[in-house]
Amino acid sequence: MRPLRSDEGMQREWIDGSATAEVAEQFIKPNDRLDSFQRLEIYNQQYWWRLLGNFAEDFRGLRAVLGDAQFDRLAVAYLHDYGSTSWTLRNLGSQLERFVRERPEFTAPHTSLVIDMVRVEWARTIAFDEAEKLPLLPEEIRDIPPQSLRLGLQPYLVLLELRHPVDKLLGKLKRQGEIETASLSNAVSSGRPRRRGRLTARPQTKPIYLAVHRQNFSVYYKRLEAEAYRLLCAVRGGVPLEHACVVACEATIDSPEVIACKMKSWFAEWMSFGWLTKPA
Amino acid sequence: MPSSRFNAFTDYGIGIGLRIPHYQHILEKKPVVDWFEIISENYMVDAGRPLHVLDQILEQYRVVQHGVSLYFGNADRPNRDHLRKLKRLVKRTGTPWLSDHLCWGSVDGRYTHDLLPMPYTWEAVETTAANIREVRDFLEVPLAVENVSSYAEFHMSEMSEWEFLNEVVERADCGILLDVNNIYVSSKNHGFDPQMYIDAVPADRVAQIHVAGHSKFEKYILDTHDHPVLDSVWKLYARAIARVGRTATLLEWDDRIPSFDDVHREALKASHFLPHEAVAA
Repeated sequence: MRPLRSDEGMQREWIDGSATAEVAEQFIKPNDRLDSFQRLEIYNQQYWWRLLGNFAEDFRGLRAVLGDAQFDRLAVAYLHDYGSTSWTLRNLGSQLERFVRERPEFTAPHTSLVIDMVRVEWARTIAFDEAEKLPLLPEEIRDIPPQSLRLGLQPYLVLLELRHPVDKLLGKLKRQGEIETASLSNAVSSGRPRRRGRLTARPQTKPIYLAVHRQNFSVYYKRLEAEAYRLLCAVRGGVPLEHACVVACEATIDSPEVIACKMKSWFAEWMSFGWLTKPA
Repeated sequence: MPSSRFNAFTDYGIGIGLRIPHYQHILEKKPVVDWFEIISENYMVDAGRPLHVLDQILEQYRVVQHGVSLYFGNADRPNRDHLRKLKRLVKRTGTPWLSDHLCWGSVDGRYTHDLLPMPYTWEAVETTAANIREVRDFLEVPLAVENVSSYAEFHMSEMSEWEFLNEVVERADCGILLDVNNIYVSSKNHGFDPQMYIDAVPADRVAQIHVAGHSKFEKYILDTHDHPVLDSVWKLYARAIARVGRTATLLEWDDRIPSFDDVHREALKASHFLPHEAVAA
């Protein structure tokens, strides 16, 4: 389905340069009110409005970063190149990060922030309904020596290294939405709708390590220390636990005693979250 | 038909669609509802909130599955991965029958997420019936095929829509989900008599009926499921009931969804047209 015109009508020229109306007349019957082009146009419009609506719903933060006009241009270009290949609209944004990296002209000058935002918003989709395994119990690993102990992580847990505080931006967006909802319920009609503020953030000097996960069926963000992030990545990579701890702390400035204390605390927290599982 | 092999010999009354805005109300207030229809695709996930809510609903209510992406009319055979996920859900819900649409919607691996009208040709009859048989054999539940609203017709069609529907369900030996709102919408868009459609369907294959609202534009009607049911549609419903008898009836309201009570109240209007029998409030 080719994108709509700027006035939201169907393209008047077919892919081979002929008139779309002539192509439509070949297989669609007109009726007494609509010609063949107009009847086909209904489906063309419904397709784009449906997908763009779904896309905007899944990437609200991205829309707030780019603004409506640039977001719409990006969405149309993305959906044209990476249209839906799944029976479910849930996967519509699965290739968006790839597209943004391939075609930075659609997101300039915000490309760096956009990439981080897209990664977090796609991670939300994963965290919301990805599979869940039985959480690991302490007694299941008690007798396994750490040099040979391998662990797994929940499939719904996404680990991200970011340059921008996207979790904070999305929190701000959520609060804006709550304020708008509250004000709409009490507002006297004043004509022009309020313009939403754009989201913006500079890249941080140090990376931000973020876990996007699910707890009690809601999606949460949790910032991680660098060592914790590297440890979880190593665990996910199938590295035995003892070696994973060594790898995670190679660049740490903390003393061994402080790191040991932190690790004990991290593992207790991850077990309470149910993040740890038996290896795949 | 009130009870047939196409609805697993059940006797379901008036139901409504299970929709997110009503979750909290249903789980907290536990209203009396004869049955809920779920959109299969919303629950064909691996875990998370959708399944958690569904499991709570299943503890209290009867649920029937309705799909939007089997695309029986596709030129390709049904997607096996899709069918496996769907069958997992069928086992979870215990749905007595499963419905989806008489349409196509994907080609060469690209999905439109729409219910596209069929060309009513003999070739399409055979392909569609074969796909339905394959899906039914895989899922091992009775299937009902729903007529769609449409906004275009094809020069290549060799028969009317109702003739096409009849040929398909006969060859597939499946049931019909008769959507009287879709019949009304299509009749206005294509200029046929909707009563002729109602009178032509094989009554013994009607497993379920849909009613819904729609939106009128200057030159066509769009099946939007965001309004109360029009009187003209209720009249078609009455004609259908007179032909097929008391049949499981479902009100579809999928956009600009009002409160649960408003939707349920609208659905229960169907009881005015049903043969006299105690109906759950």
